[in-house]
Amino acid sequence: MEFFQNTNIDFMKYRKHFVLISIALLAISVLEVFIQKSLNVGIDFAGGTQLTIKFSDKPEVDELRDVVSAAGVRDAQIQRFGAEEADEVIIKTATVAGNEEGTQAEVVQALDERFNGESAGGFDLNRRGRDALASLLLESDPDRVVAQDPEVARQRYEELAEAILEQRRVNGLLESWDEVAGVAGVSNEVRTALERQTYLGEFAVLGSENVGPQIGAELRRKGILAVVSSLLGMLIYIWFRFELRFGVGALVAVTHDVLIVLGLFSMAGFEFNLTTIAGFLTLIGYSVNDTVVVFDRVRENLRRSRREPLVETMNKSLNQTLSRTVLTSGTTLLAVGSLLLFGGDVLRGFAFIITVGVIVGTYSSIYVASPFALLWEKWFGSERGRQSPRQSPA
Amino acid sequence: MSSKLLWRGLLIAAVVGLAIFSAYPLQEKLKLGLDLRGGIHLVLQVEVDDAVRSETTKDIDRLLQEVADAGLEGVTANQTSSSSFEMQGVPQGRDREVGGIVSEYMPGWNWQRRGDLLAFKMEIANLNEIENLAVKQALETIRNRVDEFGVADPLIQRQGMEGDRIVVQLPGVDDPERVKKLIKNTAFLEFRLVTHPPGGGGVASREEITAHYGGQIPSSIEILTGSIRDDQGRAIGQQFYAVEKRTVITGRDLKTARPGVGEFNQPVVNFYLTHEGGKLFAEATGANVGKGLAIVLDGNVVSAPNIRSRIGDSGLIEGSFTRQEVEDLSTVLRSGALPAGITYLEERTVGPTLGQDSIRQGLRAGVIGLSLVVLAMLLVYKGTGLNAIVALILNIILIFGALAYFGATLTLPGIAGIVLTIGMAVDANVLIFERIREELHHGRTVKSAIDAGFGKALSSVMDANITTLIAALFLFQFGTGPIRGFAVTLSIGILASLFTAIFVSRWIFDVVLSRRRRVDRLSI
Repeated sequence: MEFFQNTNIDFMKYRKHFVLISIALLAISVLEVFIQKSLNVGIDFAGGTQLTIKFSDKPEVDELRDVVSAAGVRDAQIQRFGAEEADEVIIKTATVAGNEEGTQAEVVQALDERFNGESAGGFDLNRRGRDALASLLLESDPDRVVAQDPEVARQRYEELAEAILEQRRVNGLLESWDEVAGVAGVSNEVRTALERQTYLGEFAVLGSENVGPQIGAELRRKGILAVVSSLLGMLIYIWFRFELRFGVGALVAVTHDVLIVLGLFSMAGFEFNLTTIAGFLTLIGYSVNDTVVVFDRVRENLRRSRREPLVETMNKSLNQTLSRTVLTSGTTLLAVGSLLLFGGDVLRGFAFIITVGVIVGTYSSIYVASPFALLWEKWFGSERGRQSPRQSPA
Repeated sequence: MSSKLLWRGLLIAAVVGLAIFSAYPLQEKLKLGLDLRGGIHLVLQVEVDDAVRSETTKDIDRLLQEVADAGLEGVTANQTSSSSFEMQGVPQGRDREVGGIVSEYMPGWNWQRRGDLLAFKMEIANLNEIENLAVKQALETIRNRVDEFGVADPLIQRQGMEGDRIVVQLPGVDDPERVKKLIKNTAFLEFRLVTHPPGGGGVASREEITAHYGGQIPSSIEILTGSIRDDQGRAIGQQFYAVEKRTVITGRDLKTARPGVGEFNQPVVNFYLTHEGGKLFAEATGANVGKGLAIVLDGNVVSAPNIRSRIGDSGLIEGSFTRQEVEDLSTVLRSGALPAGITYLEERTVGPTLGQDSIRQGLRAGVIGLSLVVLAMLLVYKGTGLNAIVALILNIILIFGALAYFGATLTLPGIAGIVLTIGMAVDANVLIFERIREELHHGRTVKSAIDAGFGKALSSVMDANITTLIAALFLFQFGTGPIRGFAVTLSIGILASLFTAIFVSRWIFDVVLSRRRRVDRLSI
């Protein structure tokens, strides 16, 4: 199958219209992100606490919010996580001035008191670890083995604790005593002892993250630095490999892509976190990559026919690389598209950036980078620059 | 096959063989990040100011002692910050004497007269030394505690050479709250005599103690509290104790501590004292038989048993402990007290369930993405598409091989990086194949079109990949754990794709062409 064989599209003809479209999109993005400030900034940069919790029964989001705010933790954000039937939620709370260590203890305690009633504060089989369970079993010794050989008994109860917690690991949450009793090695006596001394909490903490205000501020600074310096790195590389006008064209195109994708990202309501920065840096690499292939062709064609106006050369080059541009964008889209659809909640924001970024990046390679290189040529260019592609026009 | 082709083939086989050898079996050879295997990542800050403050307090005590010995009466000191203090009551003419004492016993302090006062300030070098030592000691203490915890490949590291932060990574930990408590426990243990109630034990209210002393508590005594707990370790009330401020012995006098059982089979901590500590303890207990002895941990009374007889160099700590608490307490007592408090600046705990979900979803996305790209390559390039597919599969093998070979960690964003590489790696193939097609359209023969295609596309391929590498480099600089994992897989993927698209793919073309004398058509 072959696409775009010998096409001769006059890309440059409508460049002014597309510049207007781009400016409009940019304006919307800037409005969304910098003026409305609607970006959903995650705890990595804003600081705060985030708990991923699995419940035995689907909890009401409003109820959770009440429980958390009754515990004195204000402004909690609660959202569902994972598959619909998984009964998992994320509870996010903002950082409190002067408190680096976060609110996870308060939130978990409040949930414990609300959902586990009388048992709260005791030994929760859904939250404690292997060592604690082994110690508890060894102490109560339901199978009466300690008297025979304490060392053998210790080993036996450790293995038993491990087996019970493995069951919890697989399911995320132990929901009934029958489930516990079904674990190999759990005798009736063990079950009775566990029922007496422990309880099966109505929820389990699957993950817990806290970023104190100090680290949050540092990550913010480093994140901005990483994005800005990689943009400059690109400019310098292209300047070095091509000419300044191409470098400026690529830089404008990639900044354009980053801003527009950021705007769409914000509108889609994704959380801006560390992985997002990884997404944007990849997008920067990808977008420049796309542009460079076009410029590479322009340079080659410039060497061949020096008399042709730059506009013509650009049109020709864009047509020649069109098939490649569409194909690689296509394969990249296939890969990140599957990530977007099947890769899970954690990577969805990342996949969104690359997916949308590939589309916007492909567009900008054609309609932003080249026109800007032309514009730069018109404003600052000289004939000298045209004649020797390696020479900087400035 | 010419010998040159053969050599190139052998080189490719060697590289791929090495990759497979490094990465097989994958489950064992590949190091998974905390976000995939589950575990806890902590960044903690040692409150070095605490250490400086207590050092200053010690120095002040010492200075006052020396000054008094030198015959200066009525000198007092007032600590103004963690690293400065003022002395009152030194007559103008006797500065020189004080100066002599300072330079002999307290090097590392600067001082000057300010009116009636002598103002002392710690020298920066001394301050830095104390801070540095505190972090080092904290690192050592935490390492001891974690070692006793029995975690497989823990990472405990100072962040930077100078900083006051420590990074702790413990894979596979299933009880993060316990770990956090264990690490943070300053474990400052003291034994102090109880003055009221007389035989040890506690009383129900603070007022009872105040009343006992007629409303005025002597300055050598303070009131401490301890909690009453049920058999599951839940606090159900509080008790109050009047204890002497002076300590009999502290945790420093401990040689070791072990979990054990008491006379009613309840969990206790057995402790053994150093020779020096044992002497002190024996003297104090011998002189106070019948009184209560408060065991104070971090300012809270754990228990206050009655001294029944003189105790030598070992004893036991009772309290309403659970068995695990006894184990943890022995651990922290053995590992020594932390030199300063600790604050957790960052915590990331991932349970094993979340990690497994992530792996499953990432794998699914990868397989689907790979199948779609393979299909697309076959559809677009037909026979030559197979060439790209071989290159792509080798690429994935090389990524896993390199990850295993260099001991790099695979994280969730790292999986995203591999999926992304699957999409982008064929870019180099596409650039070359498109060029070959173009050259064929210009009427070149198959062989010369392939030559020209590879030759002309090379600079585009290099430029395109180098820009992505630049981005990955900055990302590596920026990132911690998971993000670094992404930067690493992306970089490896790019380098591998250069090898497969330029070297391997060319070799496949050459092998196919060498089989036939004349090639008129290329399936592309």
